[in-house]
Amino acid sequence: MIEIRDLACHSPEGRPLMVGLNLDVRKGGTLLVTGASGSGKSRLLKVLAGTERPRFGTVRIAGIAIWPGDGALSLTGRVRMGFAFAAGGLLSNLSLEDNVALPLRFLGLPPSEVARRAGGALERLGLQSVARLRPHAVSGSARKHANLARVLALDPELVLLDEPLEGLDTTDRAIAQELIQEWAGNPACTLVMASEEAQIFSTLDAERLQLSPAPMPMESQ
Amino acid sequence: MTAFFTRLGAPVRGFLEFLGDQAHLVLRTLLHGITLRFNQLAVVGGQTKLQIQFTGLDAALLVVGTALLLGAVTLIQAFSQLSGLGAENYIGMLMVLIIVRELGPLLTAVLVIGRSSTAIAAELGAMQLNSEVDALAAHGVNPYQYLLLPRWLGVLVSVFALVVFFDAAALAGGFLVARLKYGITWGFFMESVRQVLSNLDFAATLLKVVFFSGAITFHACHFGLRIRRSQTEIPQAVTRTVVSALVAVFLIDGLIAALFYF
Repeated sequence: MIEIRDLACHSPEGRPLMVGLNLDVRKGGTLLVTGASGSGKSRLLKVLAGTERPRFGTVRIAGIAIWPGDGALSLTGRVRMGFAFAAGGLLSNLSLEDNVALPLRFLGLPPSEVARRAGGALERLGLQSVARLRPHAVSGSARKHANLARVLALDPELVLLDEPLEGLDTTDRAIAQELIQEWAGNPACTLVMASEEAQIFSTLDAERLQLSPAPMPMESQ
Repeated sequence: MTAFFTRLGAPVRGFLEFLGDQAHLVLRTLLHGITLRFNQLAVVGGQTKLQIQFTGLDAALLVVGTALLLGAVTLIQAFSQLSGLGAENYIGMLMVLIIVRELGPLLTAVLVIGRSSTAIAAELGAMQLNSEVDALAAHGVNPYQYLLLPRWLGVLVSVFALVVFFDAAALAGGFLVARLKYGITWGFFMESVRQVLSNLDFAATLLKVVFFSGAITFHACHFGLRIRRSQTEIPQAVTRTVVSALVAVFLIDGLIAALFYF
């Protein structure tokens, strides 16, 4: 499903994060990317999602070249992908309900199907009571769950989760973890997840990739 | 010498990059617009309607009020300078030359730049910072189709409608002054306007509407979508959008005037 060759990524300040990374994740596989803050986990996920251009290397998703290529636009209409962002990612001028429904509407699904899938995903994540509110009017954990609900409603072939449990209380964590286990166990769904808290997923049957923060470059005198 | 050329080269390269990016945005938006599926029209149409409401409907009163005053002031000034020279015979020519050909499209564009291109740049910038544009692309919602195309279409329809309203209101303002000063009738006023107005004026105005709306939208999108790191970039992007779009609009206006009337 995912094929990465000789990938190199730099931070916005130009610090090398990954150099010469080669990686394969089979269809239905699960990859847990761990590492300290600033090691490039989020960047790797964005490169896989096709929203961040790597410095070098090639990335193919389901055989489709996204880098070099058109990034996420190459996958539009060909691979259903869901990406739960660590922060942000929800359209601030839409309610949570509309945020979840927008990708489904854009897929061209009939309104009844859109309502059924969006409603089901919001209910599963416990967001029915705040579904008509906009992201700025709900708590951080509700925003996090809304990100997951959008992914769930899409029924994606590729799921990318960036710090999906960060900032959630015990109850919300349990709901999110149950969902993650479900995606990990689904042979039709490939899951890539980035987390600093590797021990939380110790029971998850997943391949693991440990990223190390590259040393800060010395300032020239 | 090398330092001089380096200093000269940087802004030239920046300008060429800007032109390249503008061309890229326009072509990609057109290309993705053509590939829009029938069942996506409702979503894109909804976004276009919102843009028309903000850029067109919400600005209509401002544009009509400005035009009414401008039309009246133009004829007041003309009459004050040309009194005794048969100013009433030049009413139509003055209105067409000053308002319909030049100030109508130009001032409408200036008002739309002030109200809407600033809003588009700030909105897209905030969306970039909040990863909203990335989220759209990652979930199969093509940003060219969902963000750029509706803004372009919305601004195009709005600028066209506002120019029509502007010209009509300016003519009405001019007529009021002509009526009060010389007791000129509506029929005489419109006939004198009609005598000067030609198909060339309609073609030039239409061309201006198309190019102005493109410049307004894509300058705003370019500077808004370039924001990457911090909120302090948003006001800078808005300022750049206004300056750059104004320069582009005046350049286009000059080129079209030269092409049609020189």
